[in-house]
Amino acid sequence: MTTLERPSVADDTGPAPRPGGIGASVPRKEDDRLLRGDGRFTDDVEPARVLHMAVARCPYPHARIVRVDATAARALDGVKHVLTGPDVRAATEPLTVLRPVPGAPQLPYYALAQDVATHEGQPVVSVVATSRHVAEDALELLDIEYEPLPHVVDVLAALEPGAPVLHPSVLDSNLMAANSDGSGDPEARMREAALVVEDQFRINRVTALPMETRAVVAEWRPGARELTVHASTQVPHLIRKQLAASLRLQESDVRAVASDVGGGFGLKLGVFPEDVLACLHAMALRRPVKWVEDRAEHFRASTHARESVHDFRIAADADGRIMAMTDVYATDMGGWNSPFGSAQLSSVVMNGPYRVEHGYAERRVTLTNKTPIGAYRGYGQPEVNFAYELLMDRLARRLDLDPVELRAMNMVKAADLPWKNPTGAVYDSGDYEKCLRMAAEAIGWDAHRAAGRTPRADGRLMGIGFSSFVERTGYASARFLARRGSQFGAHESVTLRANRSGGLDLYTGVSTMGQSSETAFAQVISDVFGIDYDAVRVHAGDTGASPLNTGAFASRTMIAAAGALKAASEELAEKTLRLAAWRLESDAALLEITGSVVRRRDDETVQVSLAEVFTSAITGQGIPPGEEPGMESTSHFEPSDAAYSFGTAAALVSVDPGTGEFTVERFVLVHDAGTVVNQKIVDGQVRGALAQGFGAALTEELRYDPDTGQLVNGSMVDYFVPTAADLPPIELLHTSVPSPVTTFGLRGVGEAGTIPPGAAVANGICDALADFGVELNTLPITAESIWRALSRRAVQDDHEGTLAPTPGDLPDGGTGY
Amino acid sequence: MTGLAPDVQREELVETTTTVNGEPITVAVPPRLHVADFLRQHLGLTGTHVGCEQGACGMCTVVVDGEAVKSCLMFAVQLDGRNVQTVESLAEDDQLNPLQQAFKDEHALQCGFCSPGFLMTATALANQGGCPSREEIREEIAGVLCRCTGYENIVTAIERWFAESPQRAVDDDATGLTTPTGPSTTGRRR
Ligand code: FES
Ligand code: FES
Repeated sequence: MTTLERPSVADDTGPAPRPGGIGASVPRKEDDRLLRGDGRFTDDVEPARVLHMAVARCPYPHARIVRVDATAARALDGVKHVLTGPDVRAATEPLTVLRPVPGAPQLPYYALAQDVATHEGQPVVSVVATSRHVAEDALELLDIEYEPLPHVVDVLAALEPGAPVLHPSVLDSNLMAANSDGSGDPEARMREAALVVEDQFRINRVTALPMETRAVVAEWRPGARELTVHASTQVPHLIRKQLAASLRLQESDVRAVASDVGGGFGLKLGVFPEDVLACLHAMALRRPVKWVEDRAEHFRASTHARESVHDFRIAADADGRIMAMTDVYATDMGGWNSPFGSAQLSSVVMNGPYRVEHGYAERRVTLTNKTPIGAYRGYGQPEVNFAYELLMDRLARRLDLDPVELRAMNMVKAADLPWKNPTGAVYDSGDYEKCLRMAAEAIGWDAHRAAGRTPRADGRLMGIGFSSFVERTGYASARFLARRGSQFGAHESVTLRANRSGGLDLYTGVSTMGQSSETAFAQVISDVFGIDYDAVRVHAGDTGASPLNTGAFASRTMIAAAGALKAASEELAEKTLRLAAWRLESDAALLEITGSVVRRRDDETVQVSLAEVFTSAITGQGIPPGEEPGMESTSHFEPSDAAYSFGTAAALVSVDPGTGEFTVERFVLVHDAGTVVNQKIVDGQVRGALAQGFGAALTEELRYDPDTGQLVNGSMVDYFVPTAADLPPIELLHTSVPSPVTTFGLRGVGEAGTIPPGAAVANGICDALADFGVELNTLPITAESIWRALSRRAVQDDHEGTLAPTPGDLPDGGTGY
Repeated sequence: MTGLAPDVQREELVETTTTVNGEPITVAVPPRLHVADFLRQHLGLTGTHVGCEQGACGMCTVVVDGEAVKSCLMFAVQLDGRNVQTVESLAEDDQLNPLQQAFKDEHALQCGFCSPGFLMTATALANQGGCPSREEIREEIAGVLCRCTGYENIVTAIERWFAESPQRAVDDDATGLTTPTGPSTTGRRR
């Protein structure tokens, strides 16, 4: 921790934050417009003479498109333009992938299905008309003949020989690629171990479900060769590149704008087919075209997440010391490779916070006839946490050890950090055990353990479950990303520019989607530059008015942007002081910037306003000889490595042993996000992610009928995300160990909450029902699944076969993702 | 934009007289236009959002005659003779009203897409009189979804707003009514 630039502000002994600076809980910049109905979400953009698009979608999971007749649709009054598969093939390139699966071929993913559609909801024809009503009426008039093909929706069945192959032009099977990472000799350790606990864990298919669906408004000015695309996206600069590539334009021809984004959570990462279609129509018609996804489309044609099957093993000696871990897992990709594809982090943090020298992770990326999988908050980390944390508790039960002590004994110690895990991830710093101990104390673990398992007055049994985790935030450098073929960097870039009112304008490509980046960015600038927080204005999400950056995902925005903000603020502060010194006939070293003025530290009456200094720079009038005019800086920053957040959750549950019904009575999360820019915002991020974590753990599951291949519950009426009345009482506690790899010691905070709810609740239930021998291995956790486990009395070996590691040499040391 | 664009399909329009945010208006609307689209597309009141058009998400919640209504489930023609309040009416003298201010102070929003729905639900809740408990607030707002915040701060903001002005029940030039009764329109399935 020697490279730290400032002490932890959350540390009680640290200095008080300056008002509006780092560590202050300031009012958010974003709030007033959003609370007054003055946000500008993509559907709020309404250019004159705008036309509306509607999309005909394949109703089958797998079908050949035999014939498309759009004659009647074209003839409908108000219909302006119709696109079919061949039109799209002639005019575009396939959609590009931003985060490819290493070793996987590129799939020919066009904006409209060519010959064969591979999932229900895939676009087949698009229509533009004077209103959405007319466009949808026109869809009814389309005559599309499909030949249904054999389909497969189960991820393991898709890997069986003889399963229908989705993309036979580029693949012989549905295995897109297998990626393995590891160190040591885990198989040898498995043989030597006193005990091996193992199971197959099934993780449910869920979806991010942002409240604002996807949306796009495209405008083309042919004379100017300018395509302006308003889109609800987390990554305006990345979709600019993707659109240019698909539409055969130069990147400079495209301007992508994301104003307010109504939630993203990973779903809005990159270009979707409809984005390309809206642009194609707009270019053909020379009129603006709008498409706003309806919720039924959202459930079938955006992306889903998480679905995977993990065969996890932990080997331990007789004292419970972990000797090896392996995870061989199949992740579902759905019918196509979406821009971010299926999650890649289960391998990276396969061992969680535990010290494991011999480890192996193998990911099998599998195609099925379902909606494509995309990124979703957590990106593989909740999935693998469910597997290893359930097995940790089983190990404790088998060895009759206290699960808290078993965890503590195996955790990577603070003094051993930084430490490289078996798949190549370098955990930077932290005190994992401290979080665990705090959680155990807060939930009342010792008293619970001492009390034994007497039922409560209502007959319910009480249990406590823990889940300890690490969360990777940010990326382990552009070098790593390059090795993985990723189409973006690990850095962030900002432009900071003074204005003549005495304020600073910050231009960023990071769109505003609830993560409070406008607020947090302004806090960093205010802190470093010394200007009032209120005098900083953040302009976000417009590629025409921001430096080329990476974007808002992977809990990376703040940890990368903070460095760029700091550098830009320092550069402008130095220049401001030089210019002020010249005007005040003073020495710059004697001056300070505070609020709206520059003044002498020793004599506050000697001062000049920032407005005056900035104006002199902007006009070039009254600046020292040799100074360049202007007051603007563009800065870039790449953290030296990913920062690992960490924590432990504890759930107190009560279970009815007769019915399997259960209640989460209390939930405690102890979490470390390093140095905190704004505690209120961090807590908000953690609570929001926990809500999504609880949804995925307890109520959310997208179900497909294996016979028809149809999504059974694709509506908000049938897919149960938590409401205000559904969440358990949540208590948040923090530690604050600064990260040595980021500016100010920050760690990302966006995703941590999604990780532990499933494992903590399941472990609590298994603890409560330990006398019944109940073990769980499937998400979501429902009363029914518990009841079934109770009736079975043991869940072991109810699955057929396991995913065995691919034989061969282990990759040396892992490469991280 | 049906009914506005010059080259739009002709549909039979229905004349409707209503009051929106205190302003009486008479317009001719297509019969299949729902209130959310009417507010957004015909009146430019884009603070009312659309999240499902199925009555399940609550993004489109507005106050009609004092009650919270999911405006995607109501046709514009049904507004005839009624009084509509949207999020745009809340701010007073260019300042956030106390409810909005409580949301801001308590960090009750992140992306803010859901905020109008919660603000209008709470506004209607106050029309019922009384000072709901935290648990009652949770139940009352369960018809509006938020995917960002985990709700805790929304509940706190509404609770604080009630606590700070317990007598808020019965004013009402804006809604033209007093305390409505009957089941809340915001209760959710399940
Ligand atoms: S849009 Fe009206 S309830 Fe969802
Ligand atoms: S703040 Fe984003 S949905 Fe509620």
